[in-house]
Amino acid sequence: MAQVPVQTIHRDPQLFYWILLPITAVMILTGVLRHYATVLMASAPKKLDQKTTREQRALLRGINVRGNFHTLAKPSFDVRRDALTTAYESGAYLKSPENRGQAPPNPLSDPSSMEGMMGMMKNQMAMIIPNTLIMSWINAFFSGYVIMKLPFPLTIKFKSMLQAGVATKDMDPRWMSSISWYFLCIFGLQSVFNFLLGSDNAASQMAQQMGGMAPNAGQMFGPGVDPDKQFLAEAENLAVIEHYSVLDGVEQRLLEGIKV
Amino acid sequence: MSVEREFQIAPIVQEAVVHNSRTLLNLQSLTASLFGVGAGILGLESYSGFLFYLVCSLLTAMLFYVVRVAPTSLASGTGTGGGGAFDTSRYFRSQVEFWTGGLMNGLAGFILTWTLFYGLVRA
Repeated sequence: MAQVPVQTIHRDPQLFYWILLPITAVMILTGVLRHYATVLMASAPKKLDQKTTREQRALLRGINVRGNFHTLAKPSFDVRRDALTTAYESGAYLKSPENRGQAPPNPLSDPSSMEGMMGMMKNQMAMIIPNTLIMSWINAFFSGYVIMKLPFPLTIKFKSMLQAGVATKDMDPRWMSSISWYFLCIFGLQSVFNFLLGSDNAASQMAQQMGGMAPNAGQMFGPGVDPDKQFLAEAENLAVIEHYSVLDGVEQRLLEGIKV
Repeated sequence: MSVEREFQIAPIVQEAVVHNSRTLLNLQSLTASLFGVGAGILGLESYSGFLFYLVCSLLTAMLFYVVRVAPTSLASGTGTGGGGAFDTSRYFRSQVEFWTGGLMNGLAGFILTWTLFYGLVRA
């Protein structure tokens, strides 16, 4: 069987200085820029008035009591449960008690909810605009150059992706053009950003997409949620708890732990 | 005793778990890039390159275990878990994540620097 000769292509060493280096530098600097743009554009959380804060904190207190009931003794848990349930059911903590029982306002008409959506839009924009710009920049300036060889073989299917703009039929798909170096940079620069900006940076679009999937903690007090209904549900949750203390049978556990 | 009650008696602090796994992730992504530099300079190709990466990241996990995890774990009777040697449950919830998590986390960085240095040195 005849050996397929290894393709060698003589490339101008200047390709390195004028294509590889600029693309890499631009990718890194865009990541840094995106990080600081996100930091600067992050709007400070809006100040809430006293009534709203009380409403939210009261609900959070109920949730915390429900979650940590095992650290309380039986009498103190009962006192807390009675007080919270009474207040929830009478609507003492509501922001506007006169609105009880009415339908919540349409979230789209509420100006405070618009701000949340604007924040999401801004993040999306900060991701999309630089990517589009850089891709068209690379396509305009650097298309058609073969700059590097991958160190591992690939199937022929990758050819159209890696060698976009290089219309050479017989070339090994291991040779890659500048646009594929751009893709490699997108995926691989996360560790560089970790090193440069700390691990909770906003530079990588990958991390942002992951973060977008996680449920938002602010959703609980979002517009369109009726606080009265939340209070009643929480009162019900508290009522069904079967109390026990974490200290039940602690003497037994202590004696078991002592080895003579 | 139920699992839920055991967690209530010995609670797990979420912040500490996040901090531990973030430290591990930082180490993994940084070393993966450096392994890429090494593989590129050595001129490894295809399988030998990936094998190099596999061996090196397992070695990193091993060193991390020996230097940072093992001394305190073994001294305290391996924390909450019952296992003997190679038990990381004092600091990490998932054993699999500790030993092989680096393979996935650092792969993209490894391929980037591998390609770059292979291209600069050899091709």
